Amino acid sequence: MNLTLAIAGLTVKEAVRRRLLLAFVAITVAIVGLSAWGFDRLTHSSSITSGERTLAVPDALILFMFMFSFVVALSASAIASPSISSEIESGVLMTVVTRPVRRSQVLLGKWLGLAALLAGYAGVVCALEFAVVDWVSGFLPPNPAAVTVYLFAEGALLLTLALLLSTRMPVIAAGVIGVAVFGAGWLAGVVGTLGTAFGISALRTVGQAGRLLIPTDGLWHGAIYYLQPSALTSGSLTEAGAGPFYAQAAPSWPYLLWVACWFLIVLTAGLVSFERREM
Amino acid sequence: MFSMSRNSSAEHAADSSDGAAATAVAGVSASEGPFPSLPSPAIYAAGLSKRFGETVAVKSLSLTVQRGEVFGFLGPNGAGKTTVVKLLLGLVRPSGGQVMVLGAPAGDREMRKRIGYLPELFRYQALLTAAEVLRLHCRLLRLARSSWEEQTRRSLETVGLLDRGDDRVGTFSKGMQQRLGLGVALLGDPMLVVLDEPTSALDPVGRRDVRAIIGGLRERGATVFLNTHLLAEAEQVCDRVAVIDKGTAVATGTLAELLGRQTRVRLKVGGLGESWWSRLGRFGRWHRQQEWAVVDGIDASQIADLVDEVVKLGGRVEAVIPEHQSLETRFLELLSDR
Repeated sequence: MNLTLAIAGLTVKEAVRRRLLLAFVAITVAIVGLSAWGFDRLTHSSSITSGERTLAVPDALILFMFMFSFVVALSASAIASPSISSEIESGVLMTVVTRPVRRSQVLLGKWLGLAALLAGYAGVVCALEFAVVDWVSGFLPPNPAAVTVYLFAEGALLLTLALLLSTRMPVIAAGVIGVAVFGAGWLAGVVGTLGTAFGISALRTVGQAGRLLIPTDGLWHGAIYYLQPSALTSGSLTEAGAGPFYAQAAPSWPYLLWVACWFLIVLTAGLVSFERREM
Repeated sequence: MFSMSRNSSAEHAADSSDGAAATAVAGVSASEGPFPSLPSPAIYAAGLSKRFGETVAVKSLSLTVQRGEVFGFLGPNGAGKTTVVKLLLGLVRPSGGQVMVLGAPAGDREMRKRIGYLPELFRYQALLTAAEVLRLHCRLLRLARSSWEEQTRRSLETVGLLDRGDDRVGTFSKGMQQRLGLGVALLGDPMLVVLDEPTSALDPVGRRDVRAIIGGLRERGATVFLNTHLLAEAEQVCDRVAVIDKGTAVATGTLAELLGRQTRVRLKVGGLGESWWSRLGRFGRWHRQQEWAVVDGIDASQIADLVDEVVKLGGRVEAVIPEHQSLETRFLELLSDR
């Protein structure tokens, strides 16, 4: 555990010195500032009614959070994909794995360090955005902590997948595949919603299969559910009728259990792959 | 062609069945052999092979490096030297044969604590300072935290980087990074230090320093496995060498064994006329080079006898110049034989 923490600490230290955190902070402040202006215009506009405003503010917040979930996913893929492959190519890992350290400790340490960075980013982004929206418009999502957890979990899954790919693939290939998987997962969710709306069972099945194979969209819908005002979630609106930015229910426990299994399977595959990798 | 020397019990074991050899070596403890006075070899490889797809990188390599030796591993580019180093460290798995390091299977996690390694491709965390890199390796080696500062300071001092310890590695030249790599390899007073082309980025001063460091390791009883294609380097520091080509050892032994006892002697003799050596054919192959009579293939121990014989023939010996074969000449000869 001590060596795992040593690698995790090294990962965080390198990210900080690479000015990765600075870039995250700059992007976050810029987007949150923009959203503050936008929500202020939306809240104080005389062209919409108070009823429309009640729906428009949460909808806009969901769109903003979708953008943040994209940044989290992209960041997870971008920071994890070079972490093994590029260090093997450069030779940095040669002197690390020839020390009395398990390769699993190296990989878990890297995962832990990167996950800590993602968790910090998700936490800061959600806290800032929710505080700003609440201050400007008076709307606070019913369960901000759950939104943060789902956003982080979405990124953590892609982080784990990118790490697995990084044990075998060059940096760019691993990064591109990670992002493509995220996009495919989201698209499968949209296809499933369309299938439900128009009663096309094949499309509905694609959506369901997509959420099992790539659970990021399922987790994103968990975040959506906890972003929506409680009046909306307890109403009679169906998911099919409300589109891809609406969730009728929180993810079920069996589904969350499957997500945990998915995570463990991919992480274990990464550990085995790295253990067997010749350098 | 020079044949591989087979003077160790481990190599004799390799001549028997693989299983018997494996049992014999596997039974040897990390620090001591079956008899307290007979430690297991630092490195033992028998029938070691490695294939990458259709390419054979290492082919039935057998060698033994005794503890405390400075062992040179020589070969042309692409001979398979670095692959052998990676096999010793467990970075790649053998396709066949066996390899033991410090009495344990190659790559054994506990044994890695006693091994220092400078890779051919030396890169360290560019965003850390040199001292931070060394402290990281102290931690990975599981050294007592109280010893980190002393280990770090000593390493930096040994490799001449004491005044650059707080500078980031990314600002270092290649030579300085190689020095740092050497410092990393020396942490924790390893029993075996594997140096893969340790002077490739160093200037003459750096090369001299590396020789001094290897000398220091020898003095404290550590084994050094020096992988190099710089023959002069090996000639200056190695107790024994192996020459590898196309993945297999073509010669192993001390430098004297490798170069052979046979040498060339030039003689300048007066008072005997032409072709006086026709009566001395037993000493070697004779020919003339200007005013010199040259005998090739003479045993070094016979030079005094040869001079005696020339004097007995009535010759006046004006000069005798023995010429030993250089390692480079022998190396090229070994490779051209194949």
